[in-house]
Amino acid sequence: MTNVTFTMLISALIFTVGACGVLLRRNPLVQFMSIELMLNAVNLALISFGGKEGTAEGQVFVLVVLTVAAAEAVIGLGIIVAMFRKRKRIDVDDIRSMEG
Amino acid sequence: MEQVVLIIAGVLALGSALGVVLMPNAVYSAMMLLLNLISLATLFLMLHAQFMFAAQLIIYAGAILVLFLFVVTLLNPAGESLLQDKHRLQQAGAISLGLFLACLLVGGLLVAFTSGPQPALAAEVVRAGSTYGTVEEFGKSLFTQFLLPFELTSLVLLVALIGAVVLGKRR
Repeated sequence: MTNVTFTMLISALIFTVGACGVLLRRNPLVQFMSIELMLNAVNLALISFGGKEGTAEGQVFVLVVLTVAAAEAVIGLGIIVAMFRKRKRIDVDDIRSMEG
Repeated sequence: MEQVVLIIAGVLALGSALGVVLMPNAVYSAMMLLLNLISLATLFLMLHAQFMFAAQLIIYAGAILVLFLFVVTLLNPAGESLLQDKHRLQQAGAISLGLFLACLLVGGLLVAFTSGPQPALAAEVVRAGSTYGTVEEFGKSLFTQFLLPFELTSLVLLVALIGAVVLGKRR
């Protein structure tokens, strides 16, 4: 098994674990962490495959994914904190509307 | 030697990913996420992506994870045990869907890697003396060929900044 085969398999399995985490857990914070896991798995796949000709395409994609992940974490955590201020408990089943 | 480090980092990444999902306490989940990020950074280094190794540690482990820990400790959510969850049907559905996805992805990969001519892959064409993945090389292509996507990421960050201020404002 080559290095890239191994990292691609690890990436596929981490993505699956992250998807299961989003479906299984009811705490939005842990669901967010699972989403980060999935994004990271994709990053690993992009770095494994990227830049076939020795150019930087794959890594530029990873940089964009990293930026989007940071933005998404800030906005998502902001929404969770706003939700907590209003309801005093956090559970994904409580969320029925986004209206403040 | 390289193979050993690769396998240890890979197994650690997978194990800590399971830990994120299975830990009852959100703080432990965050710690497992940290372990996962560090082992992934090690994998990046083994794949000759030095800049991405540093970026992963600084942005993810340094910034995003600290933000997560702040919010987790601020909200202090009650621990939840997956074994005592009352949504049995949902759990069974989630696990079977997960297994299906895993079979699909791993099967697809195995088919792709065992049939047809093997594509030349980045980490395997890198020879001694190649500059692939170094900060210098990556910076050069980022500011010439990929200038537009790089500038667009700044727009994404600006939108996130404004969104965070609006969301954080007390009414």
